[in-house]
Amino acid sequence: MRSLLKGCAAVAAVCSVVGAAAAQVASVASDRAGAILVFPKVVVDTANSAGRGRLDTVIRISNTSNEPVRMQCFWMNANGHCFNAPGIICDPTLSPRDPRCPANSFCVPGWQETDFIVQLTARQPVAWLASTGAVPCADSNDPAIPCFALGTRDQRPSPNNNLESRVPAVLEDPFVGELKCIAVDQNDLPAEKNALKGEALIVGSDRNASNNFDVRGYNAVAIPALVGRNNFDNVLVLGGAGAEYAGCPNVLVLDHFFDFAQDPVTSQSIETVLTLVPCTEDLLGQRPVSMPIQFLVFNEFEQRFSTSFRDFSCFREFRLSQIDTRSNPTYSIFYAGVAGTLTGQTRIRGVAGNDRTRGQTLLGVAEEFRAGGGSASFQLHVQGSRPQSDFVYLPFQ
Amino acid sequence: MRLARGATEDCGVKGRASGNIGPWVAILAVLGLVGSTRADVTVERGSSILVFPKVISDAQGLLTGGIPTETIIQISNLSNSLAYAHCFYVNAAPLDPTQPAGVFNPPQWIEVDFNIVLTKQQPTYWVAGSGRRVDPTDSLCDRSIPVLNCSNAGFDPGLVPAVPPPFVGELVCIEVDSSGAPLNGNRLKGEATLVTSQTATLNGNQIRQGDASKYNALGFVGLNTDTNSNDGNLTLCLGGGPRPGCPIGAEYNGCPETVIVNHFAERATFPAVPRSQIESSSVRTEVTLVPCTQDFENQVPGTVVVQFKVTNEFENLFSASTTVNCWANLRLSDVSRIFDVNVLGTRFAQTRMTPGGAEQGSFIGVSEEFYTDGLSGLSRAALNLHVEGERAGGDLITVPEVLP
Repeated sequence: MRSLLKGCAAVAAVCSVVGAAAAQVASVASDRAGAILVFPKVVVDTANSAGRGRLDTVIRISNTSNEPVRMQCFWMNANGHCFNAPGIICDPTLSPRDPRCPANSFCVPGWQETDFIVQLTARQPVAWLASTGAVPCADSNDPAIPCFALGTRDQRPSPNNNLESRVPAVLEDPFVGELKCIAVDQNDLPAEKNALKGEALIVGSDRNASNNFDVRGYNAVAIPALVGRNNFDNVLVLGGAGAEYAGCPNVLVLDHFFDFAQDPVTSQSIETVLTLVPCTEDLLGQRPVSMPIQFLVFNEFEQRFSTSFRDFSCFREFRLSQIDTRSNPTYSIFYAGVAGTLTGQTRIRGVAGNDRTRGQTLLGVAEEFRAGGGSASFQLHVQGSRPQSDFVYLPFQ
Repeated sequence: MRLARGATEDCGVKGRASGNIGPWVAILAVLGLVGSTRADVTVERGSSILVFPKVISDAQGLLTGGIPTETIIQISNLSNSLAYAHCFYVNAAPLDPTQPAGVFNPPQWIEVDFNIVLTKQQPTYWVAGSGRRVDPTDSLCDRSIPVLNCSNAGFDPGLVPAVPPPFVGELVCIEVDSSGAPLNGNRLKGEATLVTSQTATLNGNQIRQGDASKYNALGFVGLNTDTNSNDGNLTLCLGGGPRPGCPIGAEYNGCPETVIVNHFAERATFPAVPRSQIESSSVRTEVTLVPCTQDFENQVPGTVVVQFKVTNEFENLFSASTTVNCWANLRLSDVSRIFDVNVLGTRFAQTRMTPGGAEQGSFIGVSEEFYTDGLSGLSRAALNLHVEGERAGGDLITVPEVLP
């Protein structure tokens, strides 16, 4: 009898461990629906003012559930603006300086959010262009531009139509930044509905020519809500103690070609651009989140390099070989001639530093460009979690 | 990499289940607890089985509608110890690639396998059409631009055979131990890049050399790496409970109950090009599906009936179905007319794909979209599909003996 009791106790203990593990099942993913969608990179440049060709982004989101879902979405404008000439949009990542800024000026990184509501009915797919936004089709007079299909002018807005949906175009053109959408209820309080999935298509094109026509797509990163955990306030807790949503990953892993490596199929030169955003975002106080980022790089000989980026804040696009060099990429550890092999694996980690209260984790997406050819986007791999939480502060009290 | 206090990593480095743990695993399996620790496949976590559903090596575009395509496979080891993998190419090209596939020109369904080994954190790559030889004299990449002719520099992962041209099909890599027995290490990750190998013109639209689509390999996570639920035999149990061939239930997470794709309606216009070109632009979508159940030992192609439930922007529901034998690359408009923009009535749709019946296994896949810009440009982009739920009955992968 005693041995039977011991056995039952052991089973109970193991069951509790397994149960605890099951409770931790939810994790950020780009192939599952979630309650928060993060599109780390949205770009618009319809006039080709940045010299990268005409660019626009298609956002596609759908509701995977049989019930209506309401989203509060945030455009995060990460455009830089020239110091002393704030009307000029510039790129703070250009080195030594963006030539669009006056001679006595420099580019100041920016970060500003604009939010809006989108109402999705059961299983409904919707889409919009970042450059134009979208309105209910009942209010649209341009059938060529995506709009929200459900609802007529004689109806009142309800969860079963799209009349409450109105997506503003990104506030500046050119634009670079992030889009974040959060499932909320009809009172705009966070809702535990893991029903949102999405994709972004970044489109390069030309007016009256096809020289730069190129499309790359990636899945939005979905952060699932932990059902029964939400206290419905304006502070969303991602991972850690008191988690309301799954935590962000401890490490991001990127497999890539080293910059300027020759494509083994076409012999074109390849470059990789990495875009990172922090998991913690203060949309209420508009306080930028800053942290150092550590990069640990392995080539195909198992040889290890590392570098870091100190000034990460809010949003950053990196060409890999400009992470550790500013002027001469042939000295970068991400340059194929330095690494010695065509491909590498890079592990990316936000450093928590002395702030032990926040996870300081990152999300991102990678893009691969072939000189004279096209481009492709792909998801980063993720590993592990952190004991600290990340926080999203929503701009309502 | 040194971990911060309390931070975790996912990889496991485990041996086979010990005799003491086995009974407890069996009890938990009966209770339905084993296998519940993580559900579904993943495209962004270290895994023990990688599936690349769409691999193409076709320099003439015979099997790709005229687009010359080659595939670059990238795999890396996420752990700090050696990782071994047993990989299988499944050739789904028709017997006569110059003719359309059909009853009198069936797919070959020929499997070729090989082994790779990756050292600590090692990335590797190969081109499907040329494979990779073991050659320690491969030259290193040179610092002078643009001379970076260093194909295959680095530790060669093993002798990777080139696929026979033209090739369409899948690549499956299964993590094994040094003896070749399947192992739940969750050390592998991978990506595939479909590269347009030469500039080509289709119906007046030109796709440039180097236009590329990239997707992450689908991964099956080995379950319970700390106790190692894998019994190391040649039958790999994906999801499900105890059943014939799987006495302790799932060894890996299961295949999804539902696969979801957001897509444009076929022949819908593409709104992201300049306004004057939208009316003459268009989009088409291909989904590539492979059954989860695969028998590499007896060379029995897996078969699954796929049900499509399509919801348009008006919440109108449509449905269709088709059968996937072994591997299928389906252009949506070839599955059914319901995917056409004139039938769907809206530009965007959500399609949920499920197996046809409870007795059937599941499937996984990837989508690729082709866009025209309304002038003469053509481009491509691949997207990983979303998944939902886990197939209750589970699936099996049967691998051949590796020892003589």
